[in-house]
Amino acid sequence: MPFNAIPAEDFLNREPELNYLKGLPKLKENALGGDVFLEGARGMGKTELLKQLYRNLFWENNVVPFYYSFKTANLKGAYFAKDYFTRFVRQYISFVKKEPSIADNVAKPLQRLMPAISSLGLYWLIDYIEDFQEHVSKNDFYWQLVAAISAPVVASRKTRKPVIVMLDDFDAAARLYDASLGDAHGLISLFGESMGNRRCPHVITGSAGALESIFTDHSLIGMTEQMRLGPLPKDLAVALFRAHLTNLKIASAPGLQFEFLDILRGNPLYIRNIAKAAWKMQKKELNEKDLIECYSFEVSKGETAFYCSSVFSSYAKNPVKRKAMLKLLMYAFENGRIEDSKRLSMVSGLGEAETETILGTMENSGIIRDKDAVFQDFIRCLFMMEIEGRNANDAREKIEAKYKSEREESCFELVIPMNYNAELVVAKAVEQIGKNINLDSEFLNFLQLALIEVCINAIEHSGSYEKKVFLKFITKPDKLEIIIENSGRPFSLESLKEVPVEEKLRIGMKRGWGYKLFHKIMDSVKVERVNDRTRVILTKDIKVKEVLQ
Amino acid sequence: MKSVQFSVASRLEGDAAIIYPKGYLNNLSGESLVIECGIYIGKGITKIVVNFSETDLINSIGISMLLQVIEDLKNIKGTICCTNMSKFLRDTFEMLGLMQHMLVFPVESDALNYLKTRKL
Repeated sequence: MPFNAIPAEDFLNREPELNYLKGLPKLKENALGGDVFLEGARGMGKTELLKQLYRNLFWENNVVPFYYSFKTANLKGAYFAKDYFTRFVRQYISFVKKEPSIADNVAKPLQRLMPAISSLGLYWLIDYIEDFQEHVSKNDFYWQLVAAISAPVVASRKTRKPVIVMLDDFDAAARLYDASLGDAHGLISLFGESMGNRRCPHVITGSAGALESIFTDHSLIGMTEQMRLGPLPKDLAVALFRAHLTNLKIASAPGLQFEFLDILRGNPLYIRNIAKAAWKMQKKELNEKDLIECYSFEVSKGETAFYCSSVFSSYAKNPVKRKAMLKLLMYAFENGRIEDSKRLSMVSGLGEAETETILGTMENSGIIRDKDAVFQDFIRCLFMMEIEGRNANDAREKIEAKYKSEREESCFELVIPMNYNAELVVAKAVEQIGKNINLDSEFLNFLQLALIEVCINAIEHSGSYEKKVFLKFITKPDKLEIIIENSGRPFSLESLKEVPVEEKLRIGMKRGWGYKLFHKIMDSVKVERVNDRTRVILTKDIKVKEVLQ
Repeated sequence: MKSVQFSVASRLEGDAAIIYPKGYLNNLSGESLVIECGIYIGKGITKIVVNFSETDLINSIGISMLLQVIEDLKNIKGTICCTNMSKFLRDTFEMLGLMQHMLVFPVESDALNYLKTRKL
């Protein structure tokens, strides 16, 4: 419904776009353009922009607004024609009478609108409705469609008032059919005539790739300019969130910086949903921890999950494909890339050809390319529920735990050359990292020693051509994790044997202390082989006595 | 952790040699330590005091060098005393089972007194 837009004062940072769209009739009249394809990631506010445009034009009275959403449209041609036509008539009368309720009342049939049309003196419209009904009674499918699609053009011609036609999710129109799905390709091109009309600028949304394949007439694409709706800048995203909270009568804790909202990347839909989740969860005063809880709820079973689910289902229609796609997406998120289908068919559990098809769908959907953290977390939840058999609460808790611990951790990375005394650089680094988290100096000496030993091991024994050691320090309030990686000869803990000092003295073997040292110092030592690299993971639980108070 | 270039200083007091390793005790510095002790052992000295007051960090190679000194002294029935060790160094040696192969004193003078009064 075009009138269920959010209050204008809460619609932030889109004034330039809104003003530009309002000026389209002038541009089109002067042949300077006039049709706009609105582009933007899911939830970025494309539909909301159309609704705001509609409301503005409705009350300004200079341009007739018409909004149609293909998202929920019945795509059987005859139904569509009737629906499109009726909605146009209803919205037109609503505009003339300045009665929003007429546009919103979808249950009122055309016949019942006749007295109102007549009282307004819109006799051309009565004629046009009668013409349309004649096509219907003759069962003339083609002319029903043409008459419906041409209605805005006819109205603008008769009244000399421009009509802005807003077609939301327009690419769905490519699936219009006559009697059965796929029996009438190209019906969407019937919109070409209407789009080319100088008094009817069109603003459309949908997938850019789909639109290119829809229009065989490239001049139409040529005259359609793209307008990209980017994310809200951070300050405005926070302002929008605060506005939602105020409307929902939720306070925010003093000093709350809303850092966690960064994950939403200025997406107005996600921002609104988190605010609503806070309301549903009966939060009275929001803090950073609450934000994480609301977010975890949203991506596991909230409105965001529902929304993402409908997006995901549109790409994965059958259960087998759905499961395979979930596995592949998880793999891609964890590894940051999609590799060759031969290898990934093992992940998906399907054949190479089927895997290739799914990968193609994933590529076109932009799910991986968009790097939408919210959608990725939704997929993680879905994976936990549908592949691992966990319940929604369990999945929610996992996501919550992930972000709570992430907020409290910091990460440092360091690369050292395999040079003499390079391990001292690492020792120096861990000393400062330890000081940052208030570890006491004696405990730090042991950490330094453990790290020195692992680095010496890599430098002396790996035979690496790369001659580099990669280190990552992850500090959490209760744990320090150090990951050391280097290429070269594999190293395994099993190959190491502890030799007592007496034995060392007896046999003259004085080396081989390193393993014993880092094993005694750290709480856990794990060695993995990742491709051609050896990865040693050292973990130390930080006890209270090891932290300076 | 201080960034001190490793060096070994030494002096002779009576029939005991006192060695001062300074800085990070690793392979090269450990070798210097072995050489320094070797010089005294070559001169017939069987009592060696290693004062660790200026040793801030050690690695396993340095430890193996120290083990070499212990072995060299053991072969001539000599004595090694370690003094002024930080808790970290003591704990590390303890961890590796080295303590039972050396005599440990809080300060250098204690070790020297011990070596003077005890007939070894």
